[in-house]
Amino acid sequence: MRFLESRRNFLKGSAAAIATVAVSKGVFSTIAQASSHEEGGFSNTPKSLSFYPPLEEWDDFKELDGNDWKRGGIDRKGVQSEENPDGIYVNEYVIVPTVCSNCEAGCGLTAWVDKKSLVVKKYMGNPLHTGSRGRNCAKGYGAWSQMYDPDRIPFPLRRAPGSKRGEGKWVRVTWDDAMKEIGAKIRELLEQGDEEAKKQFIYHVGRPNENGFGARLPHTLGFDGYDSHTNICSAGARQGSIQWANDDRNSPDWANAKLIFLQSSHAADAGHYFQQSAGLIADARKKGAKLVVIDPRLSNSAGMADLWLPLWPGTEAALYLWLANRILHEKGRNGEDLVDHDFVRNWVNWKKLMRNKEYLNFIKERGYIQNLPEDESYESFIQLLKELYAPYTTEFVVKECKIEGQEYKLEQLWEMFIDAGDRIATYLWRAGTIGHRGGWMNTRAGFLPLALRGALRGDVGGVSWHHWHKASVNGKWFKATLSNGKKPPKVTVWNEYPWPPEYPLSTYEMSFLLPHLLMDEEWKRKWRAKGFKIPSRLKVWVPRMYNPVWINPDGFRWIEALKREDLIELSFNLSPTWSETNWYCDYVLPTGLAGERHDQQSEPTKPEKWVAFRQPALRVALEKMGWKPKDPTRATLEAHMKAGLGEIWEEIEFWANLMVHYVDPDGKLGVKQYWASKEDPSRAITIPEFYQAAFSLLPNLKKAAEAAYPNSKYPCYEFMRDRGAFTEETNIYKPQEREVAFDGEHYIVHGHKYPKDEVIIDEDGVLWVEHHGRRKSIGVKIGDKIYQGFHTPDKRLDFFVDWLVEYRWPEYAIPIYPRNAKERQEMVHLVTQVHHDYMQGANEFALNTIYRLPYMIHTRSVNSKHLMEISVNHNPIWIHTSDAKRLGIKRGDKIRVKIVDTLSGLESGYFVAMAVPTEATRPGVLACSHHAGRWKLKNAVEIPGFQHRLGVLGLGAPLYKMSMDGKIGKMRAKEGIDKGLKKRPETWQFKDINKDLEHIWWDGLTGTWQNAVAPVHPDPIAGNHAWHHKVIIEKAKPTDRFGDVYVNYENNFKIYQAWRDKLTRPLTADLKYRRPMHMPRPAVPLSEEAYRNPMYKGEA
Amino acid sequence: MEERRAYYGLLSRIFIAEMDGHTLAKIEKLPNFKELFPTYYSWEERQRRSRYKLINELLNVDYTDIAIMHLIPYESFYLREDGMIESGGANPVIQIYNDFGFRVDLDRARVVSGDHIGVELEFMEMLARATLEAREAGDEEAIGALLEQQKSFLQEHLLQFAPLYLINVAEQARTPFYKDSAKLALEFLLEDYEYLCEMVS
Repeated sequence: MRFLESRRNFLKGSAAAIATVAVSKGVFSTIAQASSHEEGGFSNTPKSLSFYPPLEEWDDFKELDGNDWKRGGIDRKGVQSEENPDGIYVNEYVIVPTVCSNCEAGCGLTAWVDKKSLVVKKYMGNPLHTGSRGRNCAKGYGAWSQMYDPDRIPFPLRRAPGSKRGEGKWVRVTWDDAMKEIGAKIRELLEQGDEEAKKQFIYHVGRPNENGFGARLPHTLGFDGYDSHTNICSAGARQGSIQWANDDRNSPDWANAKLIFLQSSHAADAGHYFQQSAGLIADARKKGAKLVVIDPRLSNSAGMADLWLPLWPGTEAALYLWLANRILHEKGRNGEDLVDHDFVRNWVNWKKLMRNKEYLNFIKERGYIQNLPEDESYESFIQLLKELYAPYTTEFVVKECKIEGQEYKLEQLWEMFIDAGDRIATYLWRAGTIGHRGGWMNTRAGFLPLALRGALRGDVGGVSWHHWHKASVNGKWFKATLSNGKKPPKVTVWNEYPWPPEYPLSTYEMSFLLPHLLMDEEWKRKWRAKGFKIPSRLKVWVPRMYNPVWINPDGFRWIEALKREDLIELSFNLSPTWSETNWYCDYVLPTGLAGERHDQQSEPTKPEKWVAFRQPALRVALEKMGWKPKDPTRATLEAHMKAGLGEIWEEIEFWANLMVHYVDPDGKLGVKQYWASKEDPSRAITIPEFYQAAFSLLPNLKKAAEAAYPNSKYPCYEFMRDRGAFTEETNIYKPQEREVAFDGEHYIVHGHKYPKDEVIIDEDGVLWVEHHGRRKSIGVKIGDKIYQGFHTPDKRLDFFVDWLVEYRWPEYAIPIYPRNAKERQEMVHLVTQVHHDYMQGANEFALNTIYRLPYMIHTRSVNSKHLMEISVNHNPIWIHTSDAKRLGIKRGDKIRVKIVDTLSGLESGYFVAMAVPTEATRPGVLACSHHAGRWKLKNAVEIPGFQHRLGVLGLGAPLYKMSMDGKIGKMRAKEGIDKGLKKRPETWQFKDINKDLEHIWWDGLTGTWQNAVAPVHPDPIAGNHAWHHKVIIEKAKPTDRFGDVYVNYENNFKIYQAWRDKLTRPLTADLKYRRPMHMPRPAVPLSEEAYRNPMYKGEA
Repeated sequence: MEERRAYYGLLSRIFIAEMDGHTLAKIEKLPNFKELFPTYYSWEERQRRSRYKLINELLNVDYTDIAIMHLIPYESFYLREDGMIESGGANPVIQIYNDFGFRVDLDRARVVSGDHIGVELEFMEMLARATLEAREAGDEEAIGALLEQQKSFLQEHLLQFAPLYLINVAEQARTPFYKDSAKLALEFLLEDYEYLCEMVS
């Protein structure tokens, strides 16, 4: 070896002269030649580094203060004590596990409560949470500055007597004052007790972050009174999942996939299960997985993807059917079929389609196919598919998705798709699916190539369905109540406000239409005349951590409705922060944030079932330190007052006390039994009782808890109180292939025994039973085995959806997409309202509004100074550089963005925003996130008797001037965030924590409330609001300012009517039920009687 | 021996960062400069350019190539099957530094992990200096322990990857300076290991 040939004797010969060069850089900052110094259990050099101490130390963990540590460690200063006051301060913590509440993912948190000051010093992750694995995104750590918001609402507020809603005059009241008035109103409804009364209470939930409590609340009252926010969020995606699998959403196995197939950046960037999904996607990529992002915008994910496909928004279904076409027609490298015939033959409901000659004739007449199948065989089905999808050629996709010049990307996608085999993980969600009319066809069509490739089998690296990966027990507390385990009966009425007769198949409640429906007397008259009992008004409207005025479309319509005391008699927002909606409510009742409330949360973030427990950290810490509440049913409220956080309560204790003491104190109305404690019926249920009952339903958790706390009265509660998370089941793959147990006499499914004589097996192998008077399927026989199957009635994945035929949408009962301009006219329900057909002028664009900012997605985090510092209420308009150049628009220019409805042709008005030319959006498509643009109408309010004025949205919203006259609404910014906050330092609460507010630098004036201008676009089938808009842009007028809003909300009302009346196919008298009975309403369980269509004249 | 400490110091400096005029001047003034850097000594570019230009136009460009862009001077890169640099607490080299009470100032070193060849060489320099101090103090037990530790660190860490890396540098470097430095380092490490084996036995 030649390096050895020239060896010189460095250490012996002349080379010794080197000693004169002492040139090393000196990179070791601490040099200790003896063993490391230790004092009080601390050392300068821990043997190992860990973010979290072991669980045994969580109740009493000592940690050197981070600020002091910078002074040089304990070698230099020692540990602080009476004798050594200059030493490093030691924090003494109780570490309380909880769960983040700043998006839907439910990542674990730990609150580090300082025992001496009763202040939460920081929020970290929870290493015991197997979904989030000890990690969090910025929003998790932001929980701390939300908690100590300088403008935190410190006690219940009531609109001042004599003032009108929206005047901004408030008085301080007690929780009991509020409960007395609210309780009386609810009691009135219960005493009235008729059908209309049961429709006059609506609990309107923003991001719930819990599994079951909210839906149960109106259920215990016997009211059909639940509105979710889902139809402005994700209902389009869910519709496609429900059609395929009768399951709410899919659940991918990111970590083991070979292809991460993202439509929109959502899963990896900011959205559903963001932090957890992003980590798992990174794990997969480390193992070689490819990442494809289909998004008109170069998101963070697209920027690091192997392939970015900037399709024209809303045309994605065309691409998916192109994939299906190629899978059906092409062969693999060895000449094999690319279709996974084993999976498709057994698990797709093709037989139902092939038997239905009437339907096959129908699609032939529509021109979907030219020839009827020869027979009913599987081979003929595949032949049918080949013919059906043959028109979705490369030429067609290039033109429809407008990707001319990027054809090579289709080839790259194809290779990646096929190379991944059945290990393709996707989460079809958000932008494509909720942005567009017919957006639901994105999931419907998107799952087809996955089904053909076998990726929907739910095996390792593929895609399964959400409910198998989730455990929900937050609505199951009745074992601990007077009802002794008995659930409330199903609700017997159907409320037309959440579920109007025009939208029988809507995925979720039409909650974004509530103000329109309330103010639409003609609509009420029309349906009343047909036998529907629609009340003229609501008695109680309860937004729960929700802010529809700001985040729903057509905000001025919301304000109009909320101001009308004749339409909404009483409103109260259970809200931890100020919001635009609070301003128009009668009460603002401050409930807790991530570390200030109890909830059980579980989410389908990976193929397992983890369960997490959100807790009020100060209460748990105080109880561990020996404190006891005066009233155990109000412990969270008392703890927050004791620790100086304010009169902050939580919902479970609030509702339980309200029901037991104010709604139904003597139990005569039948409600108290579901809320009063079995242990002591005179009082409400306590948290340990509630969660002992709920968590004990999870068998593995129960077993572990009883082993860990053998002498406890509430072992399951204590187990979760101390750990915050538990994983009930792991490695859940191919769950539909779990076999149905058979003991020789009975089939056993989910604990029910069905005698074999009563089970009928139909021609498709489906097992049917009679259950509570209805036919229900319990399994499916494939070969000689009986499997539990998917959740559709036929237990398979439904390529053909017969209930769409029944509810008069036959042309969309199979995955389909219009193939030419004529079909786009005929099948307008599937054509996005921002299709390029509608863009004619040089300054006409599609506006992409609904991508999330990774650090600011909710109204509730607006007053986190840390999150606001990185979002600064700024939502510029992204415009492609070529478009900007063509129109002479430069970076920073003010532009007017006028929204125009492509269905009615009506204009909604405009907003003024900052243009940012960029290559990160595709030509023809603008982007402007709707997660910014906050506002307030007063900088602070006087509360009689409070020590100082109470600040309003000081960190997150500029001050605006508003005018509205019933037809036109206008907004103009008056003062920036920085000026407004700095001029009132006397109002800053939690002063020690908020000393840095004097350094606030952002004014927030480049944010625009675009949602105000947006008209509602209710999808005629899925019911979701289709968020994107056609816009016409022009340079702003000299007097325009950023943030200006001009809305013709009278026109917006007409647009609501146009979308409703021109596009929907409402209930007709020949339909027995208001909705297919097998599709449960997602929140409140309704009886068969409630499902009955009042117009139906068939048999009773 | 003072020479051992000095060699480790010099080699650490060469491989941990780009060259600077002051250090290069010191190297060029060594009485045995020609013997240690024979090719560089006779390199005509060295005569043709000012030291400033030599460093900025040639040496630092080469350094970027052999230490930042194309060759990876980290132990974990060579030893892990997946070729990842272990920058966290799981790196056994960092564990050793911790055991000795040393901590690498990564910002100052401008490295991503403490198992960078330059850092490991400086660590050896410190152990060598400690041996000298122990010798001055007449602490035979400490001398024995320190030599044992140096032998084991060389055997288990530096020599596990540095020869491969240095051979790569010798092959790929475009300037005689780094080719000579790589050969010098390789030869020195092997000889020092022999020396330590003798001493410990």
